[in-house]
Amino acid sequence: MSTLVADAVADGVIGERLWFYANYHCNLECTYCLTESGPAVARRTLDPAWMVERAREARDLGFRSLGVTGGEPFMVSSMPDTVGRLADVLPTVVLSNATLFHGPRFDHAVRALAGRAVHIQVSLDAPDASVNDAGRGDDNFRQVADAIPRLVERGLNVRIATTTVGLTPGDLARLCQLHRSWGIPDEDHVVRPIVARGRAALAELGGVVAGLHDLSAELCLTADGAFWSAFGPTVRSGRVDTDLLVTRQTAPVAVPAEAMVRIARGAPRGDDARLGIR
Amino acid sequence: MAVVDPVSPEQAPLLARPFYAGGDPGPIAGTLAHVPELLELALPFLGAVLSPSSIPFRTKEIVILRTSCVMACRYCIDSHTPVALDAGLTVAQTRALRDEPGYTVHDAFPDPRERVLVAWTDEVAGGKGPASDAATEALRAEYADHEIVELTLLASVTVLLNRYASTLRLPVAPATIDRLVVEGFARAA
Repeated sequence: MSTLVADAVADGVIGERLWFYANYHCNLECTYCLTESGPAVARRTLDPAWMVERAREARDLGFRSLGVTGGEPFMVSSMPDTVGRLADVLPTVVLSNATLFHGPRFDHAVRALAGRAVHIQVSLDAPDASVNDAGRGDDNFRQVADAIPRLVERGLNVRIATTTVGLTPGDLARLCQLHRSWGIPDEDHVVRPIVARGRAALAELGGVVAGLHDLSAELCLTADGAFWSAFGPTVRSGRVDTDLLVTRQTAPVAVPAEAMVRIARGAPRGDDARLGIR
Repeated sequence: MAVVDPVSPEQAPLLARPFYAGGDPGPIAGTLAHVPELLELALPFLGAVLSPSSIPFRTKEIVILRTSCVMACRYCIDSHTPVALDAGLTVAQTRALRDEPGYTVHDAFPDPRERVLVAWTDEVAGGKGPASDAATEALRAEYADHEIVELTLLASVTVLLNRYASTLRLPVAPATIDRLVVEGFARAA
């Protein structure tokens, strides 16, 4: 095991989770999307076997958990199996909009992921459809509210992620009441600010400006390279931002991981706790 | 027009940021920044090979400018012409290395040691396979083994940079063009 990386993880110098940007395409086009994702964008998918191989390397290096994001990961039909294989290596969280869990896709996800060391983190931004759907698209609230109870009922672990420029205390209380009614406890609900990168920056949505010192150091592998954070490989006007690029080389994981440790060891501590960007 | 735009300071990747600390790092570092893990290895290496070392600055610039001329790298010829002057080469010597009409290495370089170096450089940069026995023996008569190693590496790295800069069509810095105009190596636009 590379003690450099393992020590850095143990010391909290870099995060314990390795992220995969599995794909960039999505069935939604959220107003604050970091990567300008949508149905027509270049997919830039990661190969499932490649992801599993990197996951094993990450475990051997000292990483303790995995994350899968996109795009909408479940646009890739094999994603439930891939996430299941990742979970055989390390506990895994997969970010999803939960709007594709119907029919065979839903059954596939249940078969592959129920009872596993997997959390599906579903985006839901407000307790009201009108507010939620303004950012995430028409009918999104209804589809999410339909999918989550079914996922929970079938034994999948679900978390809720709320991305907002600011909910009122009353709205937040109603949102929490909603997820509790689905059986999702408060510790599985994260609230985070819109980050002013990607489409959110172009749309001037009032998100927080987040740079190196604001973001948790969680290595993120993409088709374009390895980035400092899952908030790093953002896309603006069709071009991938490189300001949070660590290395273009992503395999073996030791290459970007060790580079990230060197950067982190030389960087002052940030105020990510204030921004709550996770 | 450059084939690849240099990475802007705002988009400088994390490993590349130290190279931007002093401002615009120039087109070679700026383009290498697209692959930061190569930049952070390559630039110190290139700097070590091209900068003054146990080999005098002047000697190195003879090799760099001549190699660039043989390789027809406009970027490197223009960029290193002012450097050659700063290294102590005369205008006539610089023009001879640039292979300008009316200037010859034989006439411009009275020191036979430097003439040997230019002849050997011509073969390293322009030839295929080993340099000729004659050029090699002449070099060995004038330079120690460690100097030959370093000069060979210098010429080789310059060839690398010549191909890199030419292929990517890197633009010559405006300040360099201004200097070339002042020194009479270019006309004002």
